[in-house]
Amino acid sequence: MTRAELAGALRAIVGPHGVLSRASELLPFSADGLPTYRLPPTLAVLPSTRQQVIDVVRLLARERCGFVPRGAGTGLSAGALATDDAVIIGLNRLTRILSIDPVNRLAVVEPGAVNVSLTRAAAPHGLHYAPDPSSQTACTIGGNVAENSGGPHCLKYGVTLNHVLAVTVLLPDGSLTTLGNAEGETPGLDLLGAFVGSEGCFGIALDVTVRLVPDPPAVRTMLADFMSIEAGARATSAVIASGILPAAVEMMDGPTIRAVEASIYAAGYPADAEAVLLIELDGLEAGIDDDVRRIEAMCADAGARTVRVARDEAERARLWQGRKKAFGAMGRVAPALVVQDAVIPRTRLPDVLHTIHEIAARWDIQVCNVFHAGDGNLHPNIAFDPHDPAATERVHHAMREIMRACVDAGGTITGEHGVGLDKLEYMPLIFSPDSLDAQCRLRDVFDPDRRANPGKVVPVHACREWLASPAARVRVS
Amino acid sequence: MTVDAALRVRTTDDVAAAVKDAAQHRAPLRIVGRGHWLDAGPPALAAAPLALDALSGVVAYTPGDLTLTARAGTTLAEIAAVTAEHGQWLALDPFGADDGTIGATVATASSGPLAHAFGTPRDAVLGLEVVTGDGTIIRTGGRVVKNVAGFDLTRLFTGSWGTLGVITEVTVRLRAKPEGDESWAIAVDDDDALVAVCRAARTAPVAPLAFEAVDAALASRLGLGGRTTVVVRLAAAAASLRAQRDALRTLGDAAAAPTTVWETLRTVEPPAATTLRLSQLPDRTAHTWHAAANPADTMRHATPSRGIVRVITAPGAEHAAASIGHAAAAARCTVIPERLPALLWPSVATRSPTEKLAARVHAAFDPWDILNPGLSMLPASRDV
Repeated sequence: MTRAELAGALRAIVGPHGVLSRASELLPFSADGLPTYRLPPTLAVLPSTRQQVIDVVRLLARERCGFVPRGAGTGLSAGALATDDAVIIGLNRLTRILSIDPVNRLAVVEPGAVNVSLTRAAAPHGLHYAPDPSSQTACTIGGNVAENSGGPHCLKYGVTLNHVLAVTVLLPDGSLTTLGNAEGETPGLDLLGAFVGSEGCFGIALDVTVRLVPDPPAVRTMLADFMSIEAGARATSAVIASGILPAAVEMMDGPTIRAVEASIYAAGYPADAEAVLLIELDGLEAGIDDDVRRIEAMCADAGARTVRVARDEAERARLWQGRKKAFGAMGRVAPALVVQDAVIPRTRLPDVLHTIHEIAARWDIQVCNVFHAGDGNLHPNIAFDPHDPAATERVHHAMREIMRACVDAGGTITGEHGVGLDKLEYMPLIFSPDSLDAQCRLRDVFDPDRRANPGKVVPVHACREWLASPAARVRVS
Repeated sequence: MTVDAALRVRTTDDVAAAVKDAAQHRAPLRIVGRGHWLDAGPPALAAAPLALDALSGVVAYTPGDLTLTARAGTTLAEIAAVTAEHGQWLALDPFGADDGTIGATVATASSGPLAHAFGTPRDAVLGLEVVTGDGTIIRTGGRVVKNVAGFDLTRLFTGSWGTLGVITEVTVRLRAKPEGDESWAIAVDDDDALVAVCRAARTAPVAPLAFEAVDAALASRLGLGGRTTVVVRLAAAAASLRAQRDALRTLGDAAAAPTTVWETLRTVEPPAATTLRLSQLPDRTAHTWHAAANPADTMRHATPSRGIVRVITAPGAEHAAASIGHAAAAARCTVIPERLPALLWPSVATRSPTEKLAARVHAAFDPWDILNPGLSMLPASRDV
């Protein structure tokens, strides 16, 4: 089948408006928020029903054509870009929330449902969906499952993995299977656990059953400001070690604070501070103010200038908006922003942040840190002008050094954005060739033809016997 | 099979060498920690024991990070002792004695009443070192609390009963121990009253670490009196604890219970007892509870928030357990036997709906079917 014939066959499934093949139409699919990667696809298909998704994947299986499942394209790791002529399957039209069961605190949603729409739908029942990536007003549940997304409140409530109970999966060969069990325990292997976070390489989630969480009866949101980022990091380490488990501990550094305060998202952060911590406690009303006072003391001990507690819901929302829209606010700093993602042990926050600062100074780049301090999930963000090749080159060098510093501190290369294409080169820093090969073996179980999101997550050369078929590889002896 | 007759390994390299040798000779191995689980799980086929109890000790522990890495043969008691010095704990309380190993706990994905608040091993494990069925040493996950680098082999090996690889090292997330920790028992007159207490507790201002319903027979064994009882574990700082205690009293006649009640519950089943785990949606727990009712030689307890009812049947009453399993299956429950005679297993255990995929996973990681043969419950396992 030629490319034009393939487009025609796809149109026969999804209708004339569901297939995009002109360069201008495909532009939005060439990036996922990470400015250092642009890969325009040659074909994108936008099914609007579950059956259309199935028919599309079966057609692509017959044609032995690669495909990339894509949600909102907010992944920031170049994971949703098409390599090797793979067809983009955009799932944004499957947006329905199929059911909400307030008694068992469950919801079943289609993959294209936007994260926050689920929380809005659950709100009348006093429930919400806990994983809340900063992109939650755009990102989809299907994308969250693919990336095992986190968010500020994952510190207390856990990541996507901890909230998904079952997924109906369309495997790359077009067959259907259910992983997990919405109605009880799952006998046998935890294939659902393996599927969550597989970055679209194991198939497409056609529906997702998630756990909903009761809204906490009491919430306290605090803002502490510091004259050094190290002081903020010390406060974070103290809070974590104290045994109080806040719902979220978020940090923003001076450059981020000033960008936010200059933008329409101004949250009332002290503009002369070098760091602020946004700490949220939630739970039962009784005792929560005792914990607030203990945290105030810990922040003061670490050198906080002021600690204030949001007086009402409006102030709380404003404090959070500054945090969640910080990436957008940085548009004021430079035309492009590389949002990075790495995790370090929490006791290493002060020294790794210091190292990052040194690396930035050495390469003459501007790093803004806005991140989930409570679980050590850093987002060192580099603001730069992508039209300046020399600056872009310096950004790449600095990024590599930052990632290496995080790994050297005992950390990992991604906490919630995924490997995609961007982190492929770092995978050998944390996994041995044998460990990478084991990951390839698992991929081959789900996708023996290696057509689902080809070229992502594990570097191709790490898969031994790449040319041998998976069936051949396991019986060699 | 006794542990004494086993090949006893001390290092991961020893494990790799033993597995390579076994693979070469197609000679199956039975992976053994302290031996507590040898009569548990699906029917096992004959295999030479590979004992991991000497592969023990804490490898890394940074209290400020609330993470700990230990070799597979380290006992839960040892981890508890090391972490308690820093006011921390591994919030997993699988059924069985505390001298069980962390490796077995993860391999079997075992949990206990604390799963109500903290989930199961899949929620606590951050990374593993594993020797796969061809003798290859691999690492999965990492030592940090948040990690999405690569495909999640950690979840794959957790609960795989050693059929995909020998777990040699485990990194877990710890939690800070709350200031106060107390237990309460609310006795009720009948199952209707039990349902009412459970329902009221869902919206009451309490956040228990464990909330377990026990039937009258089990309540007697736990020394809580002879009535159906809800046992609640509250743990928090003083002010919160006081308020939760008051809230609990509005649910019923709450009497203080000894904190040891949880230890007793974990080890209450006699040797050679049959145990089944039945699960359904949380709001079906009462139905599952009824389906599991049996007048003689049976004890039940339930975690209502998880929809799980666990049934313990006295030695010699296996067929009663099987009938309960069948009744539960008819009530659309998932039936997972923990301990059940091999002959009864096929008719009682709910089969995995993903056996085809699972068989492919198995072929990828244990191609010669030498690790814990039989326990994967896959048809291919019977060919060995």
